[in-house]
Amino acid sequence: MNVGPETIVYILEIVVGGLLVGIGVHFVPVGGAPAAMAQATGIGTGTVQLAAGCGLTGLLAAGLMMSVTDNLWPILATGAVGAMIMIDATMLTGSWIYAYAVGAPFASAKVNYDPITGFSQPPYVAPGTVGQGIPTVCFVSGTIGALMGGVGGAMIYYPLMLINGNPAMSAIFAIGIFFVNAVLASWNIQGTIEGFHDPKFKKWPTAFRSCLAASFILAIVAVLIIPIATSGGV
Amino acid sequence: MDAFNMGLVAAMGALATVAGASEDIDSDIGSQSNPNSQVQLAAQVGNPHRIYNKAIAGEPPSNALWCTTAAIMAYVMITAYGMPLIFAAAAGAALAALFDGVFSVSAYIGRSASQARFNQWIYLDILRYTTPSIMAHVWITSFCIVTVSIIQVYLLTPHHPFPIPIIALIWGLTVGAIGSSVGDIHYGGEREFQWRLFGQGLNTMLSGQIVRKAEAGLRNSIDNAWFCAKFGGPATGMGFGLTVFLDNWRTAVFDPVTQSFAAIATGIFFVIVMILYNFYCELSARRKYGPYPGYKGDVAA
Repeated sequence: MNVGPETIVYILEIVVGGLLVGIGVHFVPVGGAPAAMAQATGIGTGTVQLAAGCGLTGLLAAGLMMSVTDNLWPILATGAVGAMIMIDATMLTGSWIYAYAVGAPFASAKVNYDPITGFSQPPYVAPGTVGQGIPTVCFVSGTIGALMGGVGGAMIYYPLMLINGNPAMSAIFAIGIFFVNAVLASWNIQGTIEGFHDPKFKKWPTAFRSCLAASFILAIVAVLIIPIATSGGV
Repeated sequence: MDAFNMGLVAAMGALATVAGASEDIDSDIGSQSNPNSQVQLAAQVGNPHRIYNKAIAGEPPSNALWCTTAAIMAYVMITAYGMPLIFAAAAGAALAALFDGVFSVSAYIGRSASQARFNQWIYLDILRYTTPSIMAHVWITSFCIVTVSIIQVYLLTPHHPFPIPIIALIWGLTVGAIGSSVGDIHYGGEREFQWRLFGQGLNTMLSGQIVRKAEAGLRNSIDNAWFCAKFGGPATGMGFGLTVFLDNWRTAVFDPVTQSFAAIATGIFFVIVMILYNFYCELSARRKYGPYPGYKGDVAA
């Protein structure tokens, strides 16, 4: 391959994409297994799994858009919108179960008042739990996280496609870079977080540094990938 | 916008709804995901049970595995042997179901055997009649997702540039993430702990105290599927169906080349509507249920 100024731009795009994924994970309100028993606030699953679910839905949308245009902005925007639709549909249907099956009011145990709606939280936290359901602040925070994850995934995919021109290989490598950054961020928040209002959110600079290092190494490997077609494959 | 594309997007939404519902019921019968932590804990705190225990992996990776397995077989059958698309999807799904059967049996036997010191038995009758139900649901999930992938690659215009197995991998991850986030709450928050006070989450003190008696006899995993199929499964299906339908509807109605702005703006409109709907759910739950009676502090907002 030819190493030129555009290679530096590709590396920077992949690094920025990785950082967006890493920071975006901090916004996604995940309560882990306790949230599935309505024992903690947030979505009842793992951080990486949910971030991957929404970010990769965005990647599918971005891949479709990139097959018809080379303009970066619609590709990034459609990736973000795809990811936001997935996480919002998930949180909304989850809210139905919290509200109409478990029958619990939504409350966060990390703040006294919801920063967006101003609703008081402690009276609505069930005894022996650390909150339940998805209050508005968590929902908005999750939407922002999905936006960053979707843009990040699309931003990793875009330069890879320009380098090797193979959608399948670019997608698989983008999924790999996505997972590395999501897992690093997940370690930083120890598996659960409620969103940008959670005290754990202040730890994001640590994840920023580690994601920067990891994305940089992966970006260098990524730009060296040779298209399968030119190396004698199918 | 053409009518054929719209029909295909509608079919994809319907298939995704079925896939989401069957994925959740599969995880409830097998007791696969987050609530399985309570099932495993139950024997350790003195409550041996007759619930199936197949924690093969988190739901997203395991569903990604089944769907990709099915998609790879379908892809080979289509490209190498020219098999009709729908039969190829069915054949791939059958392979995925067999894989799932092997993993489920080894997971159930292995996990139950490791809890022998807590008096947890391996029930061969549970193994015999629950495993086929799990496999059947995995077949439905894989078939629907591979069919969605085939529609996106071969029929829907513009054709998706990713090959079928990668689309199935991504949709498999997504359906697992949704099943794990939505349907699990119905199983873990409601069905496993039906004798606690209604209207609250699980008190930490009650961890592991799962319900072991059924409407008749001892409870097993088929009873759980019967319960969760009433709300948890359909809600999961709705979540995944909305994701697939809304995401593809905007690029089917608006041309992604000339009307990309409209396609993106429509997506943002859906997002705002869902944020407002969640706010409505929060507001109505707070109004109807009110604060918990034991709380002594400030109640006013």
